[in-house]
Amino acid sequence: MQRTGLFLERVGFLQRLNPLTKLTGALLLIGAAFLLPTPLAGAALLVLALMPLAVASAVLRSFVDVLLKTLLPVILSLLLVQGLFFPGADPATIMLGPFAFRRAGLEFALTTASRLLIVAGAPLLIFQTTHPIILVQALTERGMPRSIGYILLVALQLIPAMSERAAGVAEAQRARGLETEGGLLQRARGVLPLVSPLIVGALVDAEERAMAIESRAFTAPGRKTWLHDVPDPPVERSARLVMWLALGALIVWRAAVAVV
Amino acid sequence: MPDSLPVVELRDATFTYAGAAEPALRGVSLTVPPGQICAVVGRAGAGKSTLCALCTGFVPHFYHGQLNGAVIVNGQDVAAHPIAELVRHVALVGSNTFSQISGARFSVYDEVAFGPENLGVPRHEIVERVDWALQALKMSHLRDRSPYALSGGQQQRLVIAAALAMRPPVLVLDEPSVQLDPPGTEELAALLRALSQQGMTILFAEHRLEWVAELADRVIALDHGAIIADGVPADVLADPVLRRAGIGWPRPALIAERARREGRWPAEHPLPVTLAGLVEGLAATRNGTHCEPGHQRNGGEGEQGSEEASHSNQVSHTSLHTLASTPPPAVPSPAPPPLVVLKQVYFIYPTGVEALRGVSLTLGRGERIALLGRNGAGKSTLVRHLNGLLRPSQGTALVAGNDTRKTTVARCARHVGIVFQDVRNQLFARTVRDEVRFGPQNLGFPPDQVEALVERAVDALDLRDAIAEHPYDLPPARRRLVAIAAVLAMDTPLLVLDEPTAGLDGAGIELLSRLIRELSAQNRSVLVVSHDLDFCYETLERVILLREGRIALDTRFDALDATAITTLDNDVGLPIEVRLRHTG
Repeated sequence: MQRTGLFLERVGFLQRLNPLTKLTGALLLIGAAFLLPTPLAGAALLVLALMPLAVASAVLRSFVDVLLKTLLPVILSLLLVQGLFFPGADPATIMLGPFAFRRAGLEFALTTASRLLIVAGAPLLIFQTTHPIILVQALTERGMPRSIGYILLVALQLIPAMSERAAGVAEAQRARGLETEGGLLQRARGVLPLVSPLIVGALVDAEERAMAIESRAFTAPGRKTWLHDVPDPPVERSARLVMWLALGALIVWRAAVAVV
Repeated sequence: MPDSLPVVELRDATFTYAGAAEPALRGVSLTVPPGQICAVVGRAGAGKSTLCALCTGFVPHFYHGQLNGAVIVNGQDVAAHPIAELVRHVALVGSNTFSQISGARFSVYDEVAFGPENLGVPRHEIVERVDWALQALKMSHLRDRSPYALSGGQQQRLVIAAALAMRPPVLVLDEPSVQLDPPGTEELAALLRALSQQGMTILFAEHRLEWVAELADRVIALDHGAIIADGVPADVLADPVLRRAGIGWPRPALIAERARREGRWPAEHPLPVTLAGLVEGLAATRNGTHCEPGHQRNGGEGEQGSEEASHSNQVSHTSLHTLASTPPPAVPSPAPPPLVVLKQVYFIYPTGVEALRGVSLTLGRGERIALLGRNGAGKSTLVRHLNGLLRPSQGTALVAGNDTRKTTVARCARHVGIVFQDVRNQLFARTVRDEVRFGPQNLGFPPDQVEALVERAVDALDLRDAIAEHPYDLPPARRRLVAIAAVLAMDTPLLVLDEPTAGLDGAGIELLSRLIRELSAQNRSVLVVSHDLDFCYETLERVILLREGRIALDTRFDALDATAITTLDNDVGLPIEVRLRHTG
């Protein structure tokens, strides 16, 4: 099994697209969620755009699962906090049991939640349908520094590796009689032996990994080769142009409405 | 570059790390011709890794310091060219495999392709190189696996494959066999030989002298940063200067030397450094002819000529069986109560992998036990059942009579101390003394007893001179000794050591062997998980072989019958002395 973050090994519509096309689409959807005048634009775009795309890309179940797990607690707390404590003069309230929710607060919370769904959902769909290397390759070919790409990729793999190392450290220290359960004092005593090997190990690894990538010609001058192909057919380039134009039009229209 | 010119050339090279008081390398002069396999041996801290780093440009470009003299690799002056350019001429495979993995690729296949991608090799050629390298390292079936999901041995093969895919004219390897099991080291030796025959120049630093003797064309011995011997393995590896420097000799030389002391090997007969040399020498002795060990790649021993024949005739008939040393003396069966009892233990990981399948065994007092098995046989899972870190999915694990399901790991730690292979997970204190003190303090020993245990453990592992130092300021081999001392000081009746000889030099291994025997004499038990079969055979008495989560063999080394030997040989190979007994 590969540690590819959120990426799911499926075959579908979005998996065939160039990452730049997906990124442009995500930008357009996020822009629309903020620029369209209706407060529930984000929710509508989720249902009308992102979910059909998730279906076409065979990731719907996982997409909804991650989105709900991530955003549901945030949305619920937004509704509670803004509904109960929203400042302002509007006296309109909605009674839910013994609680009086301020109407303006709930509207604000719903608008924010709706936008959040798109802000989180669109990138999530990209990550679920794009292999990290393909994403980094597409961005690097467009001028992103290779070192940034390396950091993005290495983080995806090293975070699980660090967590495995943390488990190894805990095993080693428990085998030396360290009690990792019990009272606060007991646990506080265990912090240094548990954290220190992790940090020192990470520092030593970082130095050796720097050597390793140097010896694998990471900094060698000259043109690089990418092992995989990231196709970018003319139709996608045209689609990106259309999306940029649509986003520009939205901004201009919104600005004009504001001025009028 | 014409073939006659050396590919690696050091002229009076001296290097002192920034901030160090003493040079790590002193006046090293060396020329390595194309296609030669050159081994570098020496004690821990002798300068082997520095030499590897110097030949690849990491010294002085990555590790800074003062370099005097000249280092030319494949026509490039190392000091004058950055690593980014040198990588086209020389590749380095470091000793710590985990951190040799780039982290930027998600599959074995892509990891091997990472170097050629960076060199701008055309895509079709990358595919060809990667396929070849994976095949050469027998990893094609793992091509889609995450590099981080591989075992230590597989990771070692991966980083070698990744270096080979860059097609370097010169390949430098720092302890390439440290994670490999015996079949893995044999396969690597065959590969390196094939590469050298194709013209690749190979320089490798190594502690396992038997492997060096089998593989190298030439051996350079370092001591305190200076070359003390340089020549063909047959000459260098049995040179008394190596023993004086604490590097030791390969086992065939030691066996023959022992035979010589016992009058069963002609005095002027040269000492063999390979098993084949030993067997051939013995056969020649039996037949009344002098030894002419043509198998030794550089044949230095045969040079003494036929005048030895007359002396050989005076030596009584020498049998291979009598030459091999007797295994460690047997000790009486351990007295009850047992330290650990496993009864029909099954263990299934959350991933569904069934790692133990009905393991039953009893570990008693005063035992010296080897736990052997291939990677994935279940050794690590079994070890974690010995102190409750893992609890059986089915069956019972009793530690000092207590069911591990009903007690804590900390309580089990009073009876079983475990030193894991990766000592970096263990070391955290600012001084060796504090590190060693941590375990006995956790176990609640009174302060004066803690200090006594610390002193004893520090002396047992020969760490007196380093007691106030930070463990990370010590060379990796001594760090391992610190980790062992830290668990030894817990004074547990059972000490478990996972790959304790990895990276240790001859003197370190001897120290460990002595310690294990002393512990056994004190009625304490030691269980060793190791790929180092010779160490196990010479130091331990009971052998447990795990295969696919089951015990395939549980016997004593001195009671190995033909079936047991076949079983052992099929799974992990045989110690050199057992092989010798059953040769001819």
